[in-house]
Amino acid sequence: MIFQVINMSFALPEIFMMVMACIVLLVSAFMGKDSSSVSYWLSQFTLLITAFIIYLSISGTGGITFYGSYIKDPLSDILKLSICIINIFVLSYSWYYLKVRNLFNGEYYALATFATLGMLIMVSSTHFITLYLGLELLSLCLYAMVAMKRKSAMATEAAMKYFILGALASGMLLYGMSIIYGATGSLSLASISTAIQIGHLDNTVLSFGLVFLTIGIGFKFGAVPFHMWLPDVYHGAPTAVTLFISTAPKIAAFSMIMRLFVDGLENLHQYWQGMLIVLSVLSMIIGNVVAIAQTNLKRMLAYSTISHVGFLLLGVLSGTNEGYAASMFYVLIYALTTSGSFGMIILMGRNGFEADNISDYKGMNERNPWFAFMMLILMFSMAGIPPMAGFYTKLMVIKSLISVDLILLAIIAVLMSVVGAFYYLRMIKVMYFENPIEQIKLQAPIDIRILFSSNALLVLLIGIFPSSLMTICITIFS
Amino acid sequence: MQHLIFYSFASILLFTSMMVIIVRNPVRAALCLVLSFFTSAAIWLFLEAEFLAITLVLVYVGAVMVLFLFVVMMLDIAETPLQEGFTRYFHVGIFVAFVITIEMIAVLGASHFGLGILPSPIEHPEGYSNTKALGRLLYTIYVYPFEISAVILTVAIVAAITLTLRKKKRKTQDPADQIKVCREDRIRIVKMSVASPQKDNEEVES
Amino acid sequence: MNQNLLLIIVLAPLLGSIISGLLGKQVGRMWSHRVAIAGVGLAFIISIWVFKLVVFDDQTYNGQVYQWMQVGSISFEIGFLIDSLTAIMILVVTFVSLMVHIYTIGYMHHDDGYTRFFSYISLFTFSMLMLVMSNNFMQLFFGWEAVGLISYLLIGFWYKKPMAIYANLKAFLVNRIGDFGFLLGIAAVLMYAGSLDYVQVFIQAPEIAKKTISIFSDVQWSVMSLTCILLFIGAMGKSAQVPLHVWLPDSMEGPTPISALIHAATMVTAGIFMVTRMSPLFEFSDTALSVILVVGATTAIFMGFMGLVQNDIKRVIAYSTLSQLGYMTVALGASAYAAGMFHLMTHAFFKALLFLAAGSVMISLNHEQDIRKMGGLRKYLPITYWTSLIGSLAIIGFPGMSGFFSKDLIIESEHISSITGHDFAYFAILISVFITALYSFRLFFLVFHGQEHFTLHNGKQLHEPSIAVRIPLILLAIPSAVGGMFIGSIVFGDFFDGVILVLPEHNVLAYFGEEYHGLVSFILHGLMTTPFLLALLGVSVAYIIYVKRPNIAVRLRQRFTWFHKVLVNKYGFDNFNDKVLAGGSRLIARVFWKIGDLTLIDGVIVNGSAKIVGLAARMVRHIQTGYLYHYAFAMILGVWLLLTLFVV
Repeated sequence: MIFQVINMSFALPEIFMMVMACIVLLVSAFMGKDSSSVSYWLSQFTLLITAFIIYLSISGTGGITFYGSYIKDPLSDILKLSICIINIFVLSYSWYYLKVRNLFNGEYYALATFATLGMLIMVSSTHFITLYLGLELLSLCLYAMVAMKRKSAMATEAAMKYFILGALASGMLLYGMSIIYGATGSLSLASISTAIQIGHLDNTVLSFGLVFLTIGIGFKFGAVPFHMWLPDVYHGAPTAVTLFISTAPKIAAFSMIMRLFVDGLENLHQYWQGMLIVLSVLSMIIGNVVAIAQTNLKRMLAYSTISHVGFLLLGVLSGTNEGYAASMFYVLIYALTTSGSFGMIILMGRNGFEADNISDYKGMNERNPWFAFMMLILMFSMAGIPPMAGFYTKLMVIKSLISVDLILLAIIAVLMSVVGAFYYLRMIKVMYFENPIEQIKLQAPIDIRILFSSNALLVLLIGIFPSSLMTICITIFS
Repeated sequence: MQHLIFYSFASILLFTSMMVIIVRNPVRAALCLVLSFFTSAAIWLFLEAEFLAITLVLVYVGAVMVLFLFVVMMLDIAETPLQEGFTRYFHVGIFVAFVITIEMIAVLGASHFGLGILPSPIEHPEGYSNTKALGRLLYTIYVYPFEISAVILTVAIVAAITLTLRKKKRKTQDPADQIKVCREDRIRIVKMSVASPQKDNEEVES
Repeated sequence: MNQNLLLIIVLAPLLGSIISGLLGKQVGRMWSHRVAIAGVGLAFIISIWVFKLVVFDDQTYNGQVYQWMQVGSISFEIGFLIDSLTAIMILVVTFVSLMVHIYTIGYMHHDDGYTRFFSYISLFTFSMLMLVMSNNFMQLFFGWEAVGLISYLLIGFWYKKPMAIYANLKAFLVNRIGDFGFLLGIAAVLMYAGSLDYVQVFIQAPEIAKKTISIFSDVQWSVMSLTCILLFIGAMGKSAQVPLHVWLPDSMEGPTPISALIHAATMVTAGIFMVTRMSPLFEFSDTALSVILVVGATTAIFMGFMGLVQNDIKRVIAYSTLSQLGYMTVALGASAYAAGMFHLMTHAFFKALLFLAAGSVMISLNHEQDIRKMGGLRKYLPITYWTSLIGSLAIIGFPGMSGFFSKDLIIESEHISSITGHDFAYFAILISVFITALYSFRLFFLVFHGQEHFTLHNGKQLHEPSIAVRIPLILLAIPSAVGGMFIGSIVFGDFFDGVILVLPEHNVLAYFGEEYHGLVSFILHGLMTTPFLLALLGVSVAYIIYVKRPNIAVRLRQRFTWFHKVLVNKYGFDNFNDKVLAGGSRLIARVFWKIGDLTLIDGVIVNGSAKIVGLAARMVRHIQTGYLYHYAFAMILGVWLLLTLFVV
């Protein structure tokens, strides 16, 4: 056995975050009732410092360490950085939500930090086992977070569904991994890739394993038909948790698909392309169509998430660097926009009132024109209307399809984004053209107002100047 | 002989696993699961994976399943009634299960996983320690996943406690307090007049 | 040249606009105008510096500032092209805009929308600067549209006046027609040159000129002619050439500073500037040049006539703008781009001056606009009087004044040009010299001389408006008077070398360049030419008719009733547009609305598909039953689907 010197410095962000997560945990355990604000600030500090560490190491050399289970490359750096930044936003919203309702103690932030750690591990994994463990760490935290509001029957039910279906999906993912392991004799993605490249492998077995990997990924993303948990969980969980689930974990899921399919199994592109096409078309159609029938905003956003997942997969399945870059851009913008949208729900609500029905937004323009305008930006971005960032993401994804001659798919995507525009615009109609039910002016503390505004304006700003972020995405994959 | 033993264990394993889902009495289902764990441990022994086999028996059968049985018995769940609509979906379910099984057999059969394609496992020399090999791997090559598993276990504990700990008032003993205690804290001597015979000296536990 | 410097030029007015517009309430009126003026002032100062760099240090700049996006091989970007043409344009734009900003302090003093107004005019300046500094068609189009949009906002600034709303809608619609042509032109450029970058396109111009395209059946059209004419249609909209001129007189409904800004320095010059910028394309199409020539000449003469019968002080000046724009266009048609640009510059100064002077008169007379109710204002408003005189002399081309040089040059260029239609153009603009003199001095005499027809309310003393109004008048009068001195260096020198392309066979200005022997001889020569005599005649006639013998005017009007009627009806353009075009399209629209929209689209397509989608949505929603085993079963079905499709 050869002993390699493990290059710990690559994993500095994870190490730091793990230590801090334990500290947050200890603080919340020992301070009892009053721990929430201390743990909140500690976890924000953790995210900030981790982001800073990652930022410092971006220019540094990359490489593989921990005996081929940990990778540091531009993709992991950028995704980790965005996960940290998005989570800073998300935790700030959650803080407001939980404080107003006097919910949960420090454990929430401890779990959130652990979940973030799980995401970071996933992003940096280049090994089946690390990937799986990272995923489980993340999922476990999410299950617990959904169930944390114990008195709410809906939350408990949602957590139960999420947990059982998640376990099923994890089982399938593991099964797929073991099949691939059986065929290639390796767990490390790099050696799997070489094994497939050399050839003489049984493609039937590989594609069989691939089906189960696809299911695992599809479940994590919430792609049809593995999406059933998503509306119930989004709806049932406390909004702060929904916000958490719907943003950064999607970035982690994106890294999962990139690691598994592109780093590991790119040579099986012809097989997974077809599978992703099925998932993507179904997701776009079901997500957009069912969203129309929703009256609950959280549910509507859940279905909109499903449809966005469909779009996101389009870029990946094109199998080109351009497509990967487009999908990455898509997922980053998606996370940002979604955090704003759920942020709006949090802002609108107060103790005992969730503001998650679309009718709660009637006449919002009269109650607070600025918020209504910010929400308009977010909805426009989701619908893909220029000059919001969402337009550009859709454009890039569809462009990547056209460049590989998947014209029919591109047409479906365009049609579905038209259908999708309907319910986003309906939201705007409700906000601007209907009479408010209650006349109270909307109030929120200044910090949360600034946070929300900057979130929405960032979406607009990236829409006007998309090329900086886009260039980053493109250089990663070229 | 080997074949005979393998196939009997394997068929017991399949049978008991099926029974876990099919039987309606939860206690029986749990017991079936125990049996299936035993048989799979036995199959692992064939593969010379003694450590894993023993761990399976010790940890899963000995701890997890026993706990499970306790819970099931304490909750006193009667036979679960048939889920509403079970029959309605039964044939569809059977059909899909059947098709998937066929497909899986087609892929996982001997044509793809037979001994002609995959090498048979190497027999280890005498004195080979399975446990040692595992330990060596876990603490070297797989140290990173190993650490992550530790974190996962921590989170599992945290999650379990957060979700189940309902009352903030806990029954705890504080040794420091117990040691610090002195006589005056516990005993109050009340002086009473002798006239009333009903109440004598009285000790009051605090 | 430093890119950041150029960025400041465009961003300073934008910042001013944002601050005074969004934060107007917070910072107050005083700070609003201070910020806006500071922004434009800064832009002006840097423009001078840039002008110096370009002209004296021979520096140019062409570079990308920001790439917005890349689609295929086409790059959409923001970039600047700074050469002598741009340098002179930004100088003129920022100078006039600065004057208008200062003037506005006095003019809009009592208006409620004070900060909003400053925000708009700064934004307008920003858009115009983006337009002229662009190095690609995309940004040009952005500036083009932005200018159109803000002019809409500005003309309708007093949005409670029905006429203002009508006028801004009209301006917007007419500009849309022009923009449509322009957009098609850009599309043609993109299609044949495969790029939006000026330099790239210009390099390929000679090749494109050889191509033809068949639009209807087999008739072959020259691609270059088609492209250039389409682009010119855009210019016709912005620079108000017949028949897309109708918006300009009506736009007088906006506040006077706007009239000065739109008509003197910014919007209307956009078309002239664009054609000059595109000279490497237009040069390759004689057909397009002829079209330009004829349209310009028609505008010059017929719009001049209408100035004669207007009684609204601003409308008279508006028609004179139309006529002067005709001059510039004619110059472009004769390939005398430099002369056209030169006239654009001198016109910017004296037209801004005339408008601001008119505004000054209006302020003094409580916003009275009818020139029949003025007269004899000379002794009350000395500064306005003298500056107006300078402006009027400049516009009629009095020797020595700025207008003289540019105008004379254009007229002579027509004379020797070889483009089809140059004879017509020559005579048209000769006649319009007379007309220009006539209406300009009709206005001048009616306002400043003769009897006092105005009544002052409650004994108010008539006096010059505030200092903020007077300063711009004086500052503008100076270049109006002496601006022509630079003709030698700008038109005949190597000022525009390498910027404007003129093919040798079109090069009329070179001929004058050889003949040119300094300013004095140019002026002396001018004293003996027909245009000068015609102008003199015009002034004298105006003097006789409107000052000495006012009854002649009345008698003339009776004698030529029909002609007067035609003019008052604006040749029927407005009626035609209202009745036939607007009425017709309303009719067609109604038909389409009834049949197409209500029945087909709303009934069948929209409601139909909405119904189907809604139905599907409700149906699919039932799948989401909430039962865990259904969910799990769905997943298993997914497994089955994928396995069946892709493995077995």
